[in-house]
Amino acid sequence: MRDRKTLRRRIGSAEAWRDTKAGMWAWLLQRVAAVGLVAVIALHLKDPFLRTVQAALLALVLLHGLLGIRAILLDFGLPARWHRLLFLLALLGGVAAFAFFWRWRWY
Amino acid sequence: MVLKVFRWGPGTRERAQKYWVKARQGMTVLDALVEVQRGSDPTLAFRYACRVGMCGSCGMVINGRERWACRTLLSGLARGVVTVRPLYNFPLIRDLVVDMAPIKSQMLAMKAVFVPGRRATDGGGFAQIGSNTRERRAVDGAVECIGCGMCVSACTMVGHDARFPGPAALNRVFSLQRDSRDGAHAERSVALLSEDVLARCHGQANCTDVCPMEISPTDSILALRRRAVLRLFGIAPR
Repeated sequence: MRDRKTLRRRIGSAEAWRDTKAGMWAWLLQRVAAVGLVAVIALHLKDPFLRTVQAALLALVLLHGLLGIRAILLDFGLPARWHRLLFLLALLGGVAAFAFFWRWRWY
Repeated sequence: MVLKVFRWGPGTRERAQKYWVKARQGMTVLDALVEVQRGSDPTLAFRYACRVGMCGSCGMVINGRERWACRTLLSGLARGVVTVRPLYNFPLIRDLVVDMAPIKSQMLAMKAVFVPGRRATDGGGFAQIGSNTRERRAVDGAVECIGCGMCVSACTMVGHDARFPGPAALNRVFSLQRDSRDGAHAERSVALLSEDVLARCHGQANCTDVCPMEISPTDSILALRRRAVLRLFGIAPR
């Protein structure tokens, strides 16, 4: 299958990104959030009181965690036809939770 | 309407060729391609058979999405140039025609063929599973696959890992693993646990989104995963 000319979706090709579907965005966002978390956690350990880093940490944790819950629900048998709705709920839930925790200011 | 069609043949360079087609009411992408072939360019190669959305032969990537050309109305597409490309992840033969052989080889690699087991006959001939039984309902959607290859084209994992059998083969495996007459469940279960099979699916559901038969290979793969986990804990899945 690999030795003959075969078209693949290449990251650098605009055509390959055209019509990228919700499930792909959900998967990609969760991975990007994970990579972002590694950097933000390192910054947070250096100076735990930087508000911008705190905001980034909260946002990435919520994004990564809620998309993870979406994946777990699908893994445990929720029909795949719900995956777009779950993605939307994860995003909206993330925004609402961010607003709630950020306004709460626990210290 | 301008069609921007992928062109390639053995010994020639890949290129995108533009054709102007006068769009009529009810005209599909397949109609437009046929018009081009019969009119301005008889060398344009593409595959089709039934023309009415049954056989799946005319699967191609239209405006970035896998669709069957015979059921895709030009009026339903976004305004502007319509791009038409062959399916991804299949070896090219010429222009929009791809070699579908990988689907067969992926199925054979996963032993996705019926192997008669002890319950294949019931004394009076081949055992039948009633249409309204729990066993039949569990695979209702999965058995409708027409082998069009659109799910394989949409799957990012197939493009990344040549050993991943892809959604079509795994969907077929799912229906066989749920078939009480089949005698190769244990053998397939071992193959499913290899690192390039069930564990490789990332659940992006691209396959499910593009399936023209509205089958959900994602659900089939996730169901196989749950059964594999139960087996690991010594629980016989129903």
